[in-house]
Amino acid sequence: MTLIAEDIRVVHGRHEALSGVSLHAAAGEVTAIVGPNGSGKSTLLGAMTASLPYRGRVILNGSDIATAKAWELAAQRAVLPQTSRLAFPFSVIEVVRLGLQAGTAGDRPDVPIRALERVGLAHHADRRFQELSGGEAQRVMLARVLAQVWEPVEDGQPRWLLLDEPVSSLDIAHQLQVMDIARSFARTGGGVIAVMHDLNLTALYADRLAVLSKGQCLSFGRTADVLTDKILSRAYGCSLRVSTPPPAGDPYILPHAASP
Amino acid sequence: MKRPSTPRNGFSLFAQLWLAALLAVTTYAAQASSSPRIGSETADVLSLGGAVTEIVVALDQGHRLLGRDSTSSYPPSVRDLPDVGYVRALSPEGVLSVGPALILSEEGAGPPEAIEVIRAADVDFVTVPDGATVEGILRKIAVVGDALGVPQRAADLAREVEHDLRRATADADRPETEKKRVMFVISTEGGKINASGTGTAADALIRLSGGINAVTGYQGYKQITDEAVGLDAPDVILMMDRDGDHAIADDTLFSMPSIKLTPAAQSRAVIRMDGLLMLGFGPRTAEAIERLNAALYGDGA
Amino acid sequence: MAMLSDTHARPRDRLSCARLLHPVLAAVLVVACVASLEVGATDVTLSSVLGKLAQGKLPDGIERVVLFDIRLPRLVLGVLVGAALAVSGAAMQGLFRNPLADPGIVGVGAGAGLGAILAIVLGGVLPASLTALTGNHLVPFAAFLGGWGSTILLYRVATRHGRTSVATMLLAGIALGALAGALSGVLVYIADDRQLRDLTFWGLGSLAGASWAKVVAAGPMIVIAVGVAATLGRGLNGLALGEATAAHIGIDVQRMKALAILAVAAATGAAVAVSGGIGFIGIVVPHLLRLASGPDHRALLVNAALLGATLLVLADLLARVVIAPAELPIGIVTAVLGAPVFLWILLKRRGLVEL
Repeated sequence: MTLIAEDIRVVHGRHEALSGVSLHAAAGEVTAIVGPNGSGKSTLLGAMTASLPYRGRVILNGSDIATAKAWELAAQRAVLPQTSRLAFPFSVIEVVRLGLQAGTAGDRPDVPIRALERVGLAHHADRRFQELSGGEAQRVMLARVLAQVWEPVEDGQPRWLLLDEPVSSLDIAHQLQVMDIARSFARTGGGVIAVMHDLNLTALYADRLAVLSKGQCLSFGRTADVLTDKILSRAYGCSLRVSTPPPAGDPYILPHAASP
Repeated sequence: MKRPSTPRNGFSLFAQLWLAALLAVTTYAAQASSSPRIGSETADVLSLGGAVTEIVVALDQGHRLLGRDSTSSYPPSVRDLPDVGYVRALSPEGVLSVGPALILSEEGAGPPEAIEVIRAADVDFVTVPDGATVEGILRKIAVVGDALGVPQRAADLAREVEHDLRRATADADRPETEKKRVMFVISTEGGKINASGTGTAADALIRLSGGINAVTGYQGYKQITDEAVGLDAPDVILMMDRDGDHAIADDTLFSMPSIKLTPAAQSRAVIRMDGLLMLGFGPRTAEAIERLNAALYGDGA
Repeated sequence: MAMLSDTHARPRDRLSCARLLHPVLAAVLVVACVASLEVGATDVTLSSVLGKLAQGKLPDGIERVVLFDIRLPRLVLGVLVGAALAVSGAAMQGLFRNPLADPGIVGVGAGAGLGAILAIVLGGVLPASLTALTGNHLVPFAAFLGGWGSTILLYRVATRHGRTSVATMLLAGIALGALAGALSGVLVYIADDRQLRDLTFWGLGSLAGASWAKVVAAGPMIVIAVGVAATLGRGLNGLALGEATAAHIGIDVQRMKALAILAVAAATGAAVAVSGGIGFIGIVVPHLLRLASGPDHRALLVNAALLGATLLVLADLLARVVIAPAELPIGIVTAVLGAPVFLWILLKRRGLVEL
């Protein structure tokens, strides 16, 4: 099953933030969206989660999200926002339970603590969310999202994680931890779409990649095919060189090698 | 696809409210029927309103008083009676707790629901009409006398009061050119002067006492702008006699920018009188007129 | 700290604790209600009347009037108004994601106040046929219309393309409150002496005018509005994460916002209409409960209804007996009791109102 965005257009005031972007994500894969600041990455994710008004179509597991009820969508996909502010002094475990109630695992009270274990924060379950550091808060939110779509596949339907810059405030160890969680979700049958900032992490974890620039999709395809000098240089407006280290064969990009 | 679990809530709240409603409905009983008692000499009386209470006492019926409102402060003996509070914000149970069979009230007793309940509780409620005139005072005496079942005494009192009032107003009257301009100041809170315009008890008393109300630009009690005070040029400031924080010293009063330039400030002319005596319009109004007139023009005038 | 924690320990379940509070608070409310019927300015007591009934005797006239026409309607109205104010406060705070929100902030209070003042000051110039129709209920009716009307107006102002901006509504509410305040000031200026005194006492709030007619007029609306608000717990919890995330976890945000706003307008409008302005219940009760049992709205809203009702019944009890046979305006009692408690909470737990 798939999550398809077709010819998405979004207008912010008089500025066209997205002018006809299409994306085709398959379950079982990590699909990344990259691009420079202001290229429309988060806007595209916003359209695909129906968080903002858009034109075009978004098809989730075969049905148009525009006509689906909020609770139907919540049962099929979970969304991790870029930043989260929380009103009222909820504890960490209570925040994760908010995700659990939204999903279909509501009858499994062990899920929230297990989700916290996955992100390495079970020992903070009873702390107040507001007391956490930025990175811890982001991981708690990931646990909340995981609790919402705890089983990557249910009733033969894949479920989806939509992540907006999931590692933006994390140290390198936790960046790897979070991306491992995303990849294992995909490997067990779920779908993952992530807006990414770090091209190296993208190269390491993404199966498929969309490169956005100025509201348009420059390229979409298998990561290795898309991560080329030409496409990245065009997207980011500076000359970039993609390299490949001998052992693994994954491509990497050295900022050292950039030239204006 | 399973629907996300929705927790149940609100149930115990509903149960609670329903219990309360049920209790209310099941225990609600028919109201007692009322029987008229106006005019009975043995009535136990609650008096609401300073002037009304004064009239009751002046009719020698003070012994029938069970309670009073917070404005009833004269004669001093009534201050020992239970005080049911402010006449416009009565507590129905508080009123019933003093056990009256007859309530005599100045106009405007409330809230209306409280009055309805009180009437339903076998209590007669007589409203005494307001009136800041000689005729108004006489009408109050007649209404109170009838309600208390002492019309003869009321007629005697009315004759006496009318005589005193006619004499006092006649004595107080003088040619327009000689009349002093009086400004009644009810409050100087926060340096803002709240003065009586026309149509008030203060306005009526000033005129009856041979003065001119300096403030004629509006009706009722309002905050007056500083410059208007100068234009109205009062010869005398009239205030209520008060203790405590509301009292204001002459020096403070006459140093207020708006009052500083008035003739009243030049001659430091301020008269302070008891509020109920001045504004009550009851049996003592003749005395109030005489006193104010004397204070305005001197005893020999 | 992290070293000491056991990752397999069961996390605390504040929701279950908060739900355990339902029967506790309900029991306290029942006790408060019995006390309220037992005590008053007269020496009539509930127990003596029940004793009479048990012996097959009928209560006498004064007992019937005091218990059934004075104390009982007043008690029922107190329960309704207290629940309405506390639940409205909790729902508004959840909706605006702001622990200091109060129906007063979004203009419901100001609109209701303006309606009441209009009725008090201009009531005299209405055609006699209209005043005959509304009778004593003109002021409450106008207060309700004012509160409801201002809420609808704000909702319209803040809603574009089917989305309601809570921030716009908050700002517009402050502007409308200022406007209503100014208009009220103009009306106060043209009011005569007697109307001014009515205004003062209306502003302080009181249950002294309680009657079965008022219970019948305001009761159904408050019960429905509070009942609707009490079902919004899950939605308000989600809203704590922001509107977008609330939608992502399956909440029909627009529908929930509309329901919350209408319920609060109805509950507050009806409560203010029958009792005037009674402060502090809407702020203090939700805060106390969040402190005691956590912020989960599914339990909080129900607990707020129970505790709000209890506190108002007790405050009214004090208002009735402290200076009997006179009584204090209940707004003074709630402010005198509520303000110091509130300050104390803030001193002890500064972190509570962090956003």
